[in-house]
Amino acid sequence: MESRLGCVLLAAILLSGCSWFHRGHKGPQPVVAEETEAEPTIVEPQVPRRKVKTPHIKAKDFEVGGYFGALSIQDFGTNPLYGVRAAYHVTEDIFLEGFVGRSKAGTTSLEDVFPNITVVSESGRYFTYYDIDLGYNVLPGEIFLGRGRAFNNALYATFGMGDVKFADKDQFALNFGVGDRLLITDWLAMHLDVRDHVFETDLTGRTKNVHNIEATMGLSVFF
Amino acid sequence: MRRLLALLLLLQALHLGTAHARRPPLELVVAQPFLEMHSGPGRGFPVVYVAERDEVVTVLYSRTDWYRVRAPHGQEGWVRRDDLARTLLASGEPAPIPPYPEFATHRWEVGAGYGVFNHENLVTAYGDFGLTTSLDVEFVVQQAFGTIDNRYMTTIGMRHTFIPEWKWISPTAGIGFGWQYIKDKAPPAPQQDSNQMAYISLGGRGFITRRFMWRADWRKYVIFTNQNQNQEPDEWKVDLAVFF
Repeated sequence: MESRLGCVLLAAILLSGCSWFHRGHKGPQPVVAEETEAEPTIVEPQVPRRKVKTPHIKAKDFEVGGYFGALSIQDFGTNPLYGVRAAYHVTEDIFLEGFVGRSKAGTTSLEDVFPNITVVSESGRYFTYYDIDLGYNVLPGEIFLGRGRAFNNALYATFGMGDVKFADKDQFALNFGVGDRLLITDWLAMHLDVRDHVFETDLTGRTKNVHNIEATMGLSVFF
Repeated sequence: MRRLLALLLLLQALHLGTAHARRPPLELVVAQPFLEMHSGPGRGFPVVYVAERDEVVTVLYSRTDWYRVRAPHGQEGWVRRDDLARTLLASGEPAPIPPYPEFATHRWEVGAGYGVFNHENLVTAYGDFGLTTSLDVEFVVQQAFGTIDNRYMTTIGMRHTFIPEWKWISPTAGIGFGWQYIKDKAPPAPQQDSNQMAYISLGGRGFITRRFMWRADWRKYVIFTNQNQNQEPDEWKVDLAVFF
């Protein structure tokens, strides 16, 4: 019995010894041979490819709106005015702005005193203008309404040029303005503007520069 | 009053329509020690909230160089572009803040300016599309204010920028054709109130800041008339423009 147990132990030691000598061999050879012979199979993914969209950040640099107010047409009295505006904000300081506005002139003092005299025809009394302006936010900041409410606003200056059509004639006009943009919300702004349209005219007999000052209030939307 | 209310409601509806973007909102992780949120989109507005490192903020929209963001607890404020560019996506990639368009390789220009056409004041506006970095197609509309007439002109042309990589000033040359329409202010009426014309131009362009640039041009026109001689007026102008 002892000798049989000894034989089993001896056989076990010999086998383990053989396997120790054999450890230098790598991988079972036949399996490798099978893989090289077999056609390579392409694994098709079962999961549909997801289309990844980079989220887009909407830029709200454009502003459009309308305004109304009063325009003092030199020699022709003060009259209601309405118009539309569009702006593009280039930086936090600079913006480009365009205006189109219209008013209808009243009568001159001469026409009031002498009703038979007509300085400008009825169709020529429309004062229509367009302007292309460069604006600068001079004083940006906050204004406070009561204790718990603050609105962003900016006092800005604008300078530009354009066309004034008055008395059926188009004139080159410069304009200078100061305004305040009060943001009621981040997308809705209220404007208060004072702007002077200056152009040369000979309508009242001699050539002179006339100043036509408007004071307006308006709303605009950022998008 | 009722009209004003209706207008406000309409504006609100328009705003809601645009506010709900189709794509998911951009969410960014604060990677720097803190992220300052200002009360307005400008350098002087006070800081109203500070998001800490690893907080996730949602980007709502931008205005010029500022981004409106929402912090996890609902606080909203404006973050400077350079600060937001240092945040990360949830995957660890840099925040996809679009870069400024390169001035040398930009595609679009839109601008307006002042000039003098044949001793007359000129108001001009233009749009320009870059076919290559140095060759552009430009479309110009302008109005010249004379003492006896007004001219409305439109031209289409090609414009070559010789060294587009010169940032502050780079010479250009162009050629094109167009039309003019004359509206008389005082007699005598013009013999022709519309003409075809062609031009050559020399000029320059340059970068000012961010997406803002200047452009200047001298043009020599040939206005084709039905008389013995064509007219050959000069023009110069300076434009300020935005590029994309």
